[in-house]
Amino acid sequence: MIQVEYQDQIAIVSLNRPDKRNALVPAMLEQLDRELKDCAHKARAVVLVGKGKSFCAGFDLKMCADDPGGETMRSLLSGLSTVVRTMRAMEIPVVLGVHGAAVAGGCALLGGADIVVADAQAKLGYPVVKIGVSPAVSAAFMMASIAAGPVRTRLLDTELISGRDALRIGLVHEVVEQPADLRKRTTEIAQTLTRKPGLGIQATKAWLNEITQPMTNNAQRGLEASLALTGSPEEQERLAKLWK
Amino acid sequence: MDQPVLLETNGLIATLTINRPNARNAMSIEILDAMHKAIDELAATSTASVLILTGAGKAFCAGMDLKAVLIELSGDASVGEELLTNLAKLTLKIRNLHQIVVASVNGAAIGGGCGLTCVCDVTVSHKDATLGFPEVDLGICPAVIAPWVVKKLGAGKARKAMLMGGVMSGIEAFDIGLVDHLAEDRNGLDELTHTLASRLATGGPKALSATKKLLNELDGSLEETMVLKGAKLSASVLATPEAQKALASRLKR
Repeated sequence: MIQVEYQDQIAIVSLNRPDKRNALVPAMLEQLDRELKDCAHKARAVVLVGKGKSFCAGFDLKMCADDPGGETMRSLLSGLSTVVRTMRAMEIPVVLGVHGAAVAGGCALLGGADIVVADAQAKLGYPVVKIGVSPAVSAAFMMASIAAGPVRTRLLDTELISGRDALRIGLVHEVVEQPADLRKRTTEIAQTLTRKPGLGIQATKAWLNEITQPMTNNAQRGLEASLALTGSPEEQERLAKLWK
Repeated sequence: MDQPVLLETNGLIATLTINRPNARNAMSIEILDAMHKAIDELAATSTASVLILTGAGKAFCAGMDLKAVLIELSGDASVGEELLTNLAKLTLKIRNLHQIVVASVNGAAIGGGCGLTCVCDVTVSHKDATLGFPEVDLGICPAVIAPWVVKKLGAGKARKAMLMGGVMSGIEAFDIGLVDHLAEDRNGLDELTHTLASRLATGGPKALSATKKLLNELDGSLEETMVLKGAKLSASVLATPEAQKALASRLKR
């Protein structure tokens, strides 16, 4: 479900469940976390992209609906939070590329990245309140990155925005015109980063992490706020309706 | 010898010009000391309500004086930390000024020079100016200015700008919010700066300074710890063989 390739000093990590638009399942997040930690020692920059038609459609909701006890949803929320924190804590920079769509849990992955590139028409957003799930898990890292106004709008509104609009609010740092250009551009950026002296990049990333820590320290609280709702009747009812 | 900085006051508007055009206004100890003195004077005695910060000649400020921090040349590893601590204290002093500070970026604003613009309240520049944070290209860490860049751009954009290194045009700087007002070209900058400074100066001096003080409190600008800690961190990275080697090869070019 996760594929890792090495190219020069770059690790290209791909979400690899293309027939499900890379929808996340607990084992996939565990594997992603393991692979990221592993390549931190082998590469000088990481590229995180998705195989197939889109970057990531979010949690596998079919799997969540099939588990009325809510255990799957809880694992996914915790796993997502862990991956985002791992991305941020890695000593090497993380470049993330969104093509097609980054929805809900897929969009939350952006929170851990250092540099985000998207295709101009990609769809991004957190439309999870409509299934009775709180995107609180994403709030701390998002507020540690962009202004509080857009964070509020994006987390409360179910709307998906384009890559170009995401650039305007700072959720994305650069856009490419064609989805097909994304892999090339993210790899180029990673290559540029690996050509710079490594200590300066490492120290700068660590320092920026320290500056934003007062906000990212809230990540656990955000996760707990999301976990508190799992298994609620509202969530169960809305999840079940998706498959009727 | 020419004065390292020029301070002029015209009614409610003061102008501080970094005056080392032959070295693209790079910040040496001498320049920093002179800036400290000028800012102290503005804080203590000036009745101006707006300060314009700009550079003499073609550049705004090329950043730290790289020659001064190259241990091979100076023979003194402590200069880097002295310079960075001096810069850190200067940024805090500028942020604490009761005057509204306008950076008028006439040309290159690089590294620490670009960081200075982020300490100012408003930045004016032109399309052909060059701004950016190429510290990582030299193996060094822009730790002193990072807290200011984060406040100015938001942490996400600051992260991208500082990790990617390199420089950008005035147009790109305007797009990411590093520049607030953009003139067509260098010729249009003076008029734009003057228009903005004059408009700012129409505000009640007490209302302006009270608003600035509140904004400083809200965004943690009065927290000295991170900026001063940044100087120590930046100095320790600067002293590594990797950074010294990269600096030496840059200076030989």
